[in-house]
Amino acid sequence: MDLKPLNAFYVMIYRQVRRFLRARSRVVVTVVQPILWIFLFGMGMGNVFNFQNPMVDYFIKQQFNGLDYITFLLTGVVAMSIFVGSFISGVSVIFDKQFGFLKETLVSPAPRELILLGRAVGDSLVLMINAMIVLGLGFLISNELRPEGIPLAMLYAFILSIGFSSLGIAIASKMSSMEGFQMLMNLIVMPLQFVSGIFFPVERMPEWMQLIAKVNPLTYAVDGIRYWLTGRSSFNPIIDITLLLILSSISIVIAIWSFRKATIEE
Amino acid sequence: MGDYIISVEGLVKRFKDVVAVDNISFKVRRGEIYGLLGPNGAGKTTTINILITLLKPTSGKAFIDGIDVVEEPDKVRKKIGVVFQDPTLDNFLTAYENLYIHGRIYGLSGRELDERIKEALEFVELRQYANKVVRYFSGGMRRRLEIARALLHEPEILFLDEPTIGLDPQSRNKVWEYVGSVRREKGVTIFMTTHYMDEAEFLCDRIAVMDHGKIIAEGSPEELKSMVGSDIIIMKFNDSQRAVCLEDSLNGVIRSCRPISGNRIELVVTDAVKVLPKIFEVFERRGAVIDEVSYRRPTLNEVFLYLTGRELRDSLEESPRPTRRW
Ligand SMILES: Nc1ncnc2c1ncn2[C@@H]1O[C@H](COP(=O)(O)OP(=O)(O)O)[C@@H](O)[C@H]1O
Ligand SMILES: [Mg+2]
Repeated sequence: MDLKPLNAFYVMIYRQVRRFLRARSRVVVTVVQPILWIFLFGMGMGNVFNFQNPMVDYFIKQQFNGLDYITFLLTGVVAMSIFVGSFISGVSVIFDKQFGFLKETLVSPAPRELILLGRAVGDSLVLMINAMIVLGLGFLISNELRPEGIPLAMLYAFILSIGFSSLGIAIASKMSSMEGFQMLMNLIVMPLQFVSGIFFPVERMPEWMQLIAKVNPLTYAVDGIRYWLTGRSSFNPIIDITLLLILSSISIVIAIWSFRKATIEE
Repeated sequence: MGDYIISVEGLVKRFKDVVAVDNISFKVRRGEIYGLLGPNGAGKTTTINILITLLKPTSGKAFIDGIDVVEEPDKVRKKIGVVFQDPTLDNFLTAYENLYIHGRIYGLSGRELDERIKEALEFVELRQYANKVVRYFSGGMRRRLEIARALLHEPEILFLDEPTIGLDPQSRNKVWEYVGSVRREKGVTIFMTTHYMDEAEFLCDRIAVMDHGKIIAEGSPEELKSMVGSDIIIMKFNDSQRAVCLEDSLNGVIRSCRPISGNRIELVVTDAVKVLPKIFEVFERRGAVIDEVSYRRPTLNEVFLYLTGRELRDSLEESPRPTRRW
């Protein structure tokens, strides 16, 4: 078998990592923002839930899968940083369109799927490293985290990342400029974040919201990552990974399909 | 596959409301530099995009080295190198990294790739900028890097879409120099488009003049010019009243005549040396005082004027640069 096409896959990983190292401003979204959430929002909110009364505190912990609020939030925010980062990275295929790099890959004999997947995997690796940095800080402020769960948590994070960068790519194939970007962030990213169990547990949501949460792939990533990092979760982690795999596979298929269809006519 | 490396038959490309390419046919010989010359919006980029497998034609056929571009795009892609009209470099990466990624995508690797990259950078005199991030490159340097990149995988045909658009004269000369030596040293066939007459004339062995999606003339620069006539005479008079074409009296002596700016007229003739005395005589008989006379070979601009009634320059100003499409 001719393995040369894999070259294109590897080199796209290389490109995404290299670009990331050059364009450090992206760290703001993927590292600084989660840290702000954890410290400013998490610590503020954590204090609201802290009554210095063992009975009351125990009761409140029950609302958050039996975790301190800060631990609950922090595990969710790790998933959130991967989610936002991967979606943005997918949508930023638009920049490759605008700055022509995409055309350069489209006239090459390399299979388009491999270019696409290489790009998604490259971005995911970058995001994992960022998530590890965030998580490292988490260990400083929470004593409920289990280091041995990190590898499996990262596996969930990786699947999540591939899924949402594919979704971003599929959407980007239909866009011709970055104009709709802010709208996408407000209409897709924000709602999915709130309806995913990052900030409050799914089982405490109103019924209608729970329905949305259950079809939101992010929910299962948040829950699975939380499980492996703390041993506590809303769902069974096996169910989490199964659903996550299914939903991510669907978005990969959609992404490849829309990327293949995309010509320079649009 | 014979002598022709590109062969296009009855190619049509229709976008929603425009016919960008309107039933064109041409053949390009192996090893030649073939140019599409025409104003903005003529359909040059669309034609290239079809040849390089980025666009599907509405109808008609195009073959690269005998391979149908629609049927077997992957085979075609292995044979071609492309420099697009708009820049396609990765601005966040260095010159070396841009070439490295290109090489890997085309299946090159290791020592061989490294050597080719250095050689390619050497060729376009960018070796010393290998590790500089492309964002800081000038327009001319970017173009040269793109040429190096397009040649890295040793294509049989190099496509250049408006290779010197927006470049300063010095950078233009450099690009011309490289294009010439690509053909000479590497034996690569070059298919290029341009709206600069001097560029087409300087570089191309054969030119197809394109306007409104159609090829309206084809031939070597000399052949095209002889369509117009052999010489262009410019005469300047002391008085604007006198700067008129005396077509009736000059019938049979000149091919065409038109007044131009500054009390001048422009005459197209078959052989200036032979007809000038006759022309002088006609004007003197009418009492016109001739201040200056010059004659020269026609340029491709006159060819375009002759073919379309418009100047190539005018059509540029008429239609602004179309908005960028990827
Ligand atoms: N993707 C597209 N969709 C619609 N119209 C297009 C597209 N690309 C080019 N055109 C139109 O086709 C015509 C030819 O364009 P083009 O091939 O870019 O000309 P040139 O390269 O000679 O300047 C123009 O009228 C242009 O507006
Ligand atoms: Mg063009």
